[in-house]
Amino acid sequence: MSLLSIRNLHASIGDKEILKGVNLEVNEGEVHSIMGPNGNGKSTLAAVIVGNSKFTVTQGEVIFKGRNVLDMPVEERAAEGLFLGFQYPVEIPGVSISTFMRTAVNEQRKYRGLDPLSGSEFLKLMEEKKQIVELTSNLASRSVNEGFSGGEKKKNEIFQMAMLDPKMAILDETDSGLDIDALRIVANGVNKLRRPDNATIVITHYQRLLDYIVPDFVHILYEGRIVKTGDKNLALELEKKGYAWIKEELENQSR
Amino acid sequence: MTTSELLLKQAAKATGNGSTIAPDQQKAARFLAENRFAFRKNEVWRNVDFSDFLNDELTVPDNSFCPIPTPFSCNIPNLDTLQLTLCNGHFQGQPLQTLAGGAIVGGLRTALQQHPDLVATVFAQTTPENNSFLAANTAAFTDGVFIYIPDGVTIEKPLQILSVADHEKAICLQTRNLVYVGQNSRLTLIHCDDSHNHNRSFSNNVTEIVIDQYAHLDHYKMQNLNDNSGLMNQTFVLMRQNASLLSNSVSLNGGNIRNHNEVRMAGQHCDVQVQGLYLMDKEQRIDNYVYVEHSQPNCNSYELFKGIMDDNARGSFHGHVLVRDGASKTNAVQSNKNILLTDKATISSKPFLEIYNDDVKCSHGSSIGQLDEQALFYMMQRGIRPHTARTLLMYAFCDEVLKDIAIAPLQQQLREMVRLRLQGELSSCDNCMMSCPTNDACHFSIDTSAL
Repeated sequence: MSLLSIRNLHASIGDKEILKGVNLEVNEGEVHSIMGPNGNGKSTLAAVIVGNSKFTVTQGEVIFKGRNVLDMPVEERAAEGLFLGFQYPVEIPGVSISTFMRTAVNEQRKYRGLDPLSGSEFLKLMEEKKQIVELTSNLASRSVNEGFSGGEKKKNEIFQMAMLDPKMAILDETDSGLDIDALRIVANGVNKLRRPDNATIVITHYQRLLDYIVPDFVHILYEGRIVKTGDKNLALELEKKGYAWIKEELENQSR
Repeated sequence: MTTSELLLKQAAKATGNGSTIAPDQQKAARFLAENRFAFRKNEVWRNVDFSDFLNDELTVPDNSFCPIPTPFSCNIPNLDTLQLTLCNGHFQGQPLQTLAGGAIVGGLRTALQQHPDLVATVFAQTTPENNSFLAANTAAFTDGVFIYIPDGVTIEKPLQILSVADHEKAICLQTRNLVYVGQNSRLTLIHCDDSHNHNRSFSNNVTEIVIDQYAHLDHYKMQNLNDNSGLMNQTFVLMRQNASLLSNSVSLNGGNIRNHNEVRMAGQHCDVQVQGLYLMDKEQRIDNYVYVEHSQPNCNSYELFKGIMDDNARGSFHGHVLVRDGASKTNAVQSNKNILLTDKATISSKPFLEIYNDDVKCSHGSSIGQLDEQALFYMMQRGIRPHTARTLLMYAFCDEVLKDIAIAPLQQQLREMVRLRLQGELSSCDNCMMSCPTNDACHFSIDTSAL
């Protein structure tokens, strides 16, 4: 059984249908990449999986660990192990990263019937995970994302991923706004967190990130559907030829 | 007899008995007789409505009923203060105390007998403009706290005025506190207004403060009254050259609270920081009025008031900064931020600058909004439940005011109380809320050191 199984997923915002029947299977230990031109539903797919109420699911299902998550509240999906690395991480003035993470870790532990981490256990965990993305210590005492540079925000997303240890992480354009050093740090972080019993979906425009995070599968999301699936070479082909040939190929098919 | 009739009658009887403050008392009595309690048309008083209390038949209690137990349950854990207790408007415990450096503290009535000249240096000296509540208090205050710090004295241990309403009847209190901080002296004053039961009370309190040259005062006001109580809390501050003031008022609970602050900087290089936090719910009402007068060059004033209004709570913030002609190089900031949690809660925010000098830097801002939906979603995506996420966001909102409290145990206790208040647990405390037992089952853990 797949870890994540998306079947005929349709979703809209207002009257506008964005996802028009997405099908996707992700197994444990796999890294999938979703590529595609802007405005074709990549971020919407990520948002719908984690439960953003801005979008309405009109058809289909999202099965995660054998359960349809579409009926579950956002925080339960998270506690079950779904993590979204935000394209635009939100600033929360007045809440430090450590307060934020301690609350999140302990609420997730409570959901799973575990005792909360003590202050010292938490600090130890935080020190350990900070190494993964080379997060400097003063960053942890700052308010969440407030005044962070683009690179710091994305590093912070991967740091949170490390702290929460999700079963399934979806990284939405984690490479946008990163310089080459930050990109390498973020990608290394993701690779260090990769295990046979978890999975990652990497949403990106560019092949560049996939030099560092090597995907098992590359999908092209176009006009609300996954229209083509291949291995990492598909990403290289896109880099060379752009997206225009996909469009042509689809038009030829429909003729 | 209604409360307003009672107050008018008491004021009319006031003669001052030939004391040093007698002329001021007589003047106040005349003002009240002329103006009574009609002032709704005045912009400064437009939002104020204590008619419930004024039309009710409250009694002014004598000193015979004051069962404050020891240790007092309103004590703040780990905070060592010198307590000056007012119960139902009467100072508890007699003779005046002399502290190191010659500072004098005790009851105002006693001070008026023993140090009439010192009393007269503050009494009615900070209040160039009268108002009806002030006049009623000036003419016929019951008692209050008198604090006199001579020049060059630093009082290390904070002084704590504890004003408690605890009576079997519905009562009206008129307390008057006088504070003088001498040249180069420093004082920390904590002023707590607490209810000790659920009975109705109306407190018409006036505090006058003179901060002399190069002196500094930290003034904390904590208001934690029951839902049936009204508090008219007026604070007048007169500052001389190079004086500084940090004022921080935290209104956690109360039926109807008016914090009326007037700060006048009469010398150059004064520094004023006036902050407030208010958390109101149910049918509660809060009005904060802050008047800051810059009349000399090179003074700074900074105002920050933040509030969270729930249920049907109503309130207002009215800030008025007056920069006079001669007050060049003035630096004034005014800010009021509010969160409304329901459609029925209301707040009226009026930051106001009145400037008669071109060489100044002044800014004002005001915001009224709801909790940030994007931030809530972000937190929930990390597994934080909506209730906890909302509480954490509100707590963070409040902390901008709390973080400036310089006394660690007080800051810690207030953070804890704000947390309880935001979780709706504080109002379930039966007795004094300061010592409300904390609910350990709560898993909303805050690492305050990192906030």
